[in-house]
Amino acid sequence: MIPDPIHAAFDPVAYATPFFILTVILEIVLARFGKADARYEARDTAVSLGMGLGSSVAGVLFGALGFTAVVWVWQNHRIFDIPMTAWWAWIAVFLAEDLTYYWFHRLSHERRVWWLSHVNHHSSQHYNLSTALRQTWTGALNGSWALYVILSLLGFPPAMVAIQKGVSLVYQYWIHTEAIRRMPAWFEAVFNTPSHHRVHHARNPVYLDRNYAGILIVWDRLFGTFQPELDDEPCRYGLVKNLATFNIVRVAFHEWIATAQDIVRHPRHALGYLFGPPGWSHDGSRETSAMIKARAAEAKPATERLDAAA
Amino acid sequence: MDEAFFVQLAASAAAVAVLVGIAAWAKIARPVGPLDEHKARALLAEEFPARAVDAVWISSDGAGALAKSGGLALVICRVGDGFAARQIPWPQAVSATFRNGRLSIDLSDIAAPRAVIALPAWPPKSFNGDLAA
Repeated sequence: MIPDPIHAAFDPVAYATPFFILTVILEIVLARFGKADARYEARDTAVSLGMGLGSSVAGVLFGALGFTAVVWVWQNHRIFDIPMTAWWAWIAVFLAEDLTYYWFHRLSHERRVWWLSHVNHHSSQHYNLSTALRQTWTGALNGSWALYVILSLLGFPPAMVAIQKGVSLVYQYWIHTEAIRRMPAWFEAVFNTPSHHRVHHARNPVYLDRNYAGILIVWDRLFGTFQPELDDEPCRYGLVKNLATFNIVRVAFHEWIATAQDIVRHPRHALGYLFGPPGWSHDGSRETSAMIKARAAEAKPATERLDAAA
Repeated sequence: MDEAFFVQLAASAAAVAVLVGIAAWAKIARPVGPLDEHKARALLAEEFPARAVDAVWISSDGAGALAKSGGLALVICRVGDGFAARQIPWPQAVSATFRNGRLSIDLSDIAAPRAVIALPAWPPKSFNGDLAA
């Protein structure tokens, strides 16, 4: 039987949902009895899971935007014919999707127009399995699917890409935990792990905008964005400016509203507020991640000199 | 959207409710004691590393703090078992609504709309280095 190249035969995320539920319960219960390192705050958990639930509804409502573009490009402009039945095609899509994810994810942090959706995933001050499910409601609206059109252009069937995206999402679930400290060294060298991804979710200056990987951490090593977790720098999670609300509507849309306010107040600088990095401002009154990192790097040697003198 | 989607959605919503209930039952939030001046200053240094603090006022319930730093007010408020911090112009903090021992500060931020700090009096009459309430 020839598989449908447009519609995926199965959704890995749907199959994994019972596993998500059971492992969240397991993490909470193990932490409750002191057998695992995990912190849960009920309202934070409610927001994380509510965002996850809402994102599945948003996917049904708005997912057609990206899907239509991807299918149109594959049907009309693909360069190669990649068969879904070839084993090498699955290895190729694994690598191509993971590399695409790296750049999608990096741009989602480095350009405000995409950050305004991705910020939701980072808005918890906690790092546990429920944080993995804190997904955006608006990803389809700001074109964050656009990079995946490249895979269609190359000739990867949309169904194949959809399955691989699902596999990647399921893989990235289990790394949202403090219960696992380090994996074996060979695994840490090649794959994204709880340790690497804790760094990604941390707001400590040294950890900002690092470890964008989906499954393979090698992309970060290759493109210079890798940062190992440091034993003397415990991760502090959340945003540079943390949210002071558990109102899920504010959580979902705060960056959209803040961006709109900036554009309305400073229309001449609209492009900067949209396509500049998060924290960019026309008058330099705010700080980007790069500025925060530079300030911290400048301050640290001074601190170290004081420590040495003491 | 077909019927199966709504069944799945309802089941997922029920699962969310159960998981939140289990999280509440477990009581495994971070232990957050009330803020004292030492803790507040440490938090302020962490959140505003480039700012020198002139004076600090600690909420009497330990759930927040307000500091003066030059022309700015640095505000810390508890959110669940964590804290959020914002800076606003000092005059905005001075003119914040004070009623029944509670200072309600408009933070002018969609993600942090308001902070409430419990204080014996507001605004302060003078500032000096060791002022801390």
